[in-house]
Amino acid sequence: MSSYRLPKRGLVDHNAPLSFTFDDRSMQGLEGDTLASALLANGQMLVGRSFKYHRPRGILTAGAAEPNALVTVGRRGRTEPNTRATVQELYEGLEAQSQNRWPSLNFDVGALNGLMSPFLGAGFYYKTFMWPAPLWEKLYEPFIRRAAGLGKASYEADPDAYEKSWAHCDLLVIGGGPTGLAAALTAGRAGARVILVDEGSLPGGSLLFDTATIDGRAAADFARDTSAELQSMANVRVMTRTTAFGWYDGNVFGAVERVQKHVRDPASHLPVERLWRIVARQALLATGAEERPLVFGGNDRPGVMMASAMRTYLNRYGVAPGKATAIFTTNDSGYGLARDLEAAGVDVVAIIDSRPAAGVEYRGKARLIREAVVCGTKGRKAISAIEVHRDGRTETIAVDALAMAGGFSPIVHLACHRGGKPIWSAEKAAFLAPEGLKGLGLAGAAAATTELAACLGEGAAQAKAIVKELGLSCPPVALPKVEGDEGIDSSKPLWSIPGVKGKAFVDFQNDVHLKDIGLAVREGYSHVELAKRYTTSGMATDQGKLSNVNAIGLIAKARGVSPAEVGTTTFRPFYTPVSFGALTGPHTGHHFQPVRKSPLHDWAKKHGAVFVETGLWYRSSWFPRSGERTWRESVDREVLNVRKNAGLCDVSMLGKIEISGSDAAEFLNRVYCNAFLKLAVGKARYGLMLREDGMIYDDGTTSRLEENRFFMTTTTAYAAGVMNHLEFCAQALWPELDVRLASITDQWAQMAIAGPKARIILQKIVDEDISDAAFPFLAAKEVSLFGGALHGYLFRISFSGELAYELAVPAGYGESVADALMEAGTAHGVMPYGLETLGVLRIEKGHVTHNEINGTVVPADLGFGKMVSATKPDFIGKAMLQREGLAAPDRPQLVGVVPLDPRQSFRTGSHILAKGAAATLENDEGYVTSSAYSPHIGSTIALALVKHGPSRHGEEVVVWSGLHGESTAARLCNPVFFDPQNERLHV
Amino acid sequence: MASLVPCPNCGRRPKEEFTIKGAALSRPAPGADAADWFNYVYLRDNPRGTYEEYWHHTSGCRRWLVLTRHTLTHEVAACRDAADGSQLEGGA
Amino acid sequence: MSEFRPILRPVLGTKQTVSSATLKLSPLPEGTIIHVLARPGEEDIVPFLGSLAKAAQHAVRPVSPGHWFIVGEEPMPHQEVKSLFAALEPRATGVDQSHGRVRIRIEGKMASRALSKGTGLDLDPSAFPVGQSAVTLIGHIAAHITRVGSEAFEIIVLRGFAETLWDDLARMSLEFC
Repeated sequence: MSSYRLPKRGLVDHNAPLSFTFDDRSMQGLEGDTLASALLANGQMLVGRSFKYHRPRGILTAGAAEPNALVTVGRRGRTEPNTRATVQELYEGLEAQSQNRWPSLNFDVGALNGLMSPFLGAGFYYKTFMWPAPLWEKLYEPFIRRAAGLGKASYEADPDAYEKSWAHCDLLVIGGGPTGLAAALTAGRAGARVILVDEGSLPGGSLLFDTATIDGRAAADFARDTSAELQSMANVRVMTRTTAFGWYDGNVFGAVERVQKHVRDPASHLPVERLWRIVARQALLATGAEERPLVFGGNDRPGVMMASAMRTYLNRYGVAPGKATAIFTTNDSGYGLARDLEAAGVDVVAIIDSRPAAGVEYRGKARLIREAVVCGTKGRKAISAIEVHRDGRTETIAVDALAMAGGFSPIVHLACHRGGKPIWSAEKAAFLAPEGLKGLGLAGAAAATTELAACLGEGAAQAKAIVKELGLSCPPVALPKVEGDEGIDSSKPLWSIPGVKGKAFVDFQNDVHLKDIGLAVREGYSHVELAKRYTTSGMATDQGKLSNVNAIGLIAKARGVSPAEVGTTTFRPFYTPVSFGALTGPHTGHHFQPVRKSPLHDWAKKHGAVFVETGLWYRSSWFPRSGERTWRESVDREVLNVRKNAGLCDVSMLGKIEISGSDAAEFLNRVYCNAFLKLAVGKARYGLMLREDGMIYDDGTTSRLEENRFFMTTTTAYAAGVMNHLEFCAQALWPELDVRLASITDQWAQMAIAGPKARIILQKIVDEDISDAAFPFLAAKEVSLFGGALHGYLFRISFSGELAYELAVPAGYGESVADALMEAGTAHGVMPYGLETLGVLRIEKGHVTHNEINGTVVPADLGFGKMVSATKPDFIGKAMLQREGLAAPDRPQLVGVVPLDPRQSFRTGSHILAKGAAATLENDEGYVTSSAYSPHIGSTIALALVKHGPSRHGEEVVVWSGLHGESTAARLCNPVFFDPQNERLHV
Repeated sequence: MASLVPCPNCGRRPKEEFTIKGAALSRPAPGADAADWFNYVYLRDNPRGTYEEYWHHTSGCRRWLVLTRHTLTHEVAACRDAADGSQLEGGA
Repeated sequence: MSEFRPILRPVLGTKQTVSSATLKLSPLPEGTIIHVLARPGEEDIVPFLGSLAKAAQHAVRPVSPGHWFIVGEEPMPHQEVKSLFAALEPRATGVDQSHGRVRIRIEGKMASRALSKGTGLDLDPSAFPVGQSAVTLIGHIAAHITRVGSEAFEIIVLRGFAETLWDDLARMSLEFC
């Protein structure tokens, strides 16, 4: 073990060594370490290169705010770039790589950017890459893209599972430090449903490195005992390794739990990360405070560290920051660190205090330099000396570590996620959460309370008030006795430091330094939002956790105003980065969206169907047979067979809605543009539904099964939308009507039996007489099957133009009935057919689908003008359909198209041009909406919407597709290509 | 990320269970002026403040609701069943 | 083909019960689900529905305002369904959904924790006691949930989504099995 590890110190297990690698170098850490503490214990000061200037960087913090120590953890599909070493728990076999360096961390070519720095200041991109414009694409953008970003993501799929979950509670406590523990304990003992989330592996927060005692116990022991009591309560859930990252509407909090980010081989029955949405009646933000860096020259050199981080490494992890340390402080907290360092046997060379006097008495060995500042540092890849400025003189002191104690900023991010802005408190010298928040309170250091006893008291008191509001009685909780807490005075922040030497960094991650802020203000970008964007301060992955308040202070100073006047930029989720894996949860790959399966899915499968995804459904496209080499061969066979013999097609996915109630007919009369009041019982009718703007919304058949019971079908694509629409009409528009709607799509397996042999086949399983006389075209009735073994509905409707029926049977029997029909039809040549054949058959008949009903057509455009009722007082779309423009003669209207040369074809979406006309927008006559090869016609046939289409049958045109560079001579024609007299229907 | 809608029938539910239609307006009488219909179908206010909208609890009770939402804060001041007979604020 | 006897193919017929000490997920038999739609303005229809349902075999589950499910383990013969529909009139309409909906049972100490991975519903017994029903999203699929015991839930889902929901539930249960 290295000489930086202090034996018997901290909460790490000195008997449990862990091996890991950093840049392929083997190192040893201890159970309980973070990657950062283990690196420090190994004397690894240099852990990365900075973003813009590629400066050597070390570990600055011990927590979530870390801007420098970003590494890539894991390999292949588990690669996770930009992992903060300060929050990554160490595990046996962890592999970490430094980032943003080439060819190596020690020798980095990009560091030359440092020499270029006079040209890389604020607004550099805006100024440098202005012109000439053509260079953008080839030179500037690739350059910026290469320079931007830190780690590299893997191209391999992530092998791990992620999931999401909801949780509900009376009180959500965010942060398991002293304040949060006291609050959770109080509310938990009162019986409230409590959730405590803490981002660390152990609850305790600052207690884990505090040297104070609570009720005679070490602070860390108090944390452990309290957390154990909380975990024993059935009404309390303690969630560690969980970061609450956002506050959302309805008092919902987003949180991410790192379930298995601290293990090498994640167990497969658990996710690696879990995204929580926590619904809280009340929440308490006990998130503590962030220590502010001090802006002096070379404050980014490895070895310079936040004072509280140094104390954490020392007391919690048993790691000495160096051999000869110095502390630069603006408040009393620096002295606690000095005392702890000396107690651990680490030399403190000097304490540099910016104030004339401290609030605590210091009795240690360090040289105390008052009314002084550190103005610069020296060293190459790590700090070797500091330059102390006092009374206009500068002195150099050799050190190998420096702590910065610049005061504390409450962590109020979540309190500002719903639009509120932090408020500057001159008294506390800090930005505090906005006032008057509903459902969320703050306590402890997050509310700028500094003393430990006060934090414990505040947490308990707030929880008590919340519990009372919930109507629960709160047993009295005795406040624990705190000893040895030095507290922190709220000193005046020290924004700017006299005599700064070299670059003094404000935003470490984005390499924004003091001069950039000054430049932004001088160039007119002094508004805080503009300064942020001009300098990029606060725009990195750490979102300025360390830098924002300093940047605001410096802007305020430059403008000569108070930080209150400068204000803050907008806080938005996420508090810390959340992986795409967690946000996606389980919804990846096959689980991206649910699969909706037809009850005839397995029937189609066993007949060899090729499936296609349409919406959520898997529909059978065609049924290849052996010897068929292309899909077209299969489809041609299916098409010909339907018109010659018979085919069976699964149409279960059509939307089906049962409409009942004493006003059902009146309701249908209002939602369809054609008449439905007088539809006879036992009859089906084709209906057109319009939108309120007069355009066609959907079509389908509706059958009257009883006086007040209708069976409506919708298109597959619009099934859900039509149901919503009907519910809107019934509930919001006409609540006075007695109409009841039930979706029955899934209740029925529905199959189309089409072709001249359809009746013979069907009659074998249907008990009732289905002859043309007994069951004519558009008959719709309940039927009995197999001698009464089963009941279903039979509809004599036809999309193919053949003698055809649709049979609906209870879904669980669908496959069995389809089997029976196939068996009954074997002798008659029945074959299954799919969606492609359905398409060919309907185009041959000029029947429309949503290819034609594309939201721009009114009934007359499709030849349905006469269907629209002129007598009904009202229906959806009636008023707007009267508009003059919708009756204009040059509207694109339905027409057929065939190529002049049957060997040629064209595509759906191609445009129609008059013969000889140039392909210009003005000459556009319309477009092809559907096309297919018709084995009956022997060529491509198509439907199109063309200006004056119906009066142009026979005209030669050009079908043009600019996208494909195709131009085909064609002729407009009647859109009904096959059996225009419908003789095959009525047999 | 998340927000809850107070369905009068089901209680507070995630917004993912709902479908938003837009402004809740009274449908004009069948014989109303073309201008009234035009307003109803096409014209919308875009207020900074409270707004009455139709929401459908699609994956819940499947009732259409009239929700009074603040467009700036998303605060829901009221939510009622669309069939409850109350007058809509936005007339035509 | 009057000799032909159609065979029922339960959609979750091939799914194995997922079971552990703290959680059990099982498909329920495809019995009876009658969707009842009340006439507008009907009040206190529940006792009426209770009187029509067979106490021992059927349960009445609220779905949404004016809608209920009458559920049972055994399929209801066609004539019985017709008689029930007739008895419901004019106060309510009956729609047979016995094949349109599929029932799944999830029970055990961890059942509510597993379900919370899919639904935003607060399943704490204080908020969702025994006998309570709700329609909600489970992941991306809408389903009807009833607490049928202190640690037992019955889920009713559209047949077409049943397989996907089953797979989702099985994955949500993995942690506890």
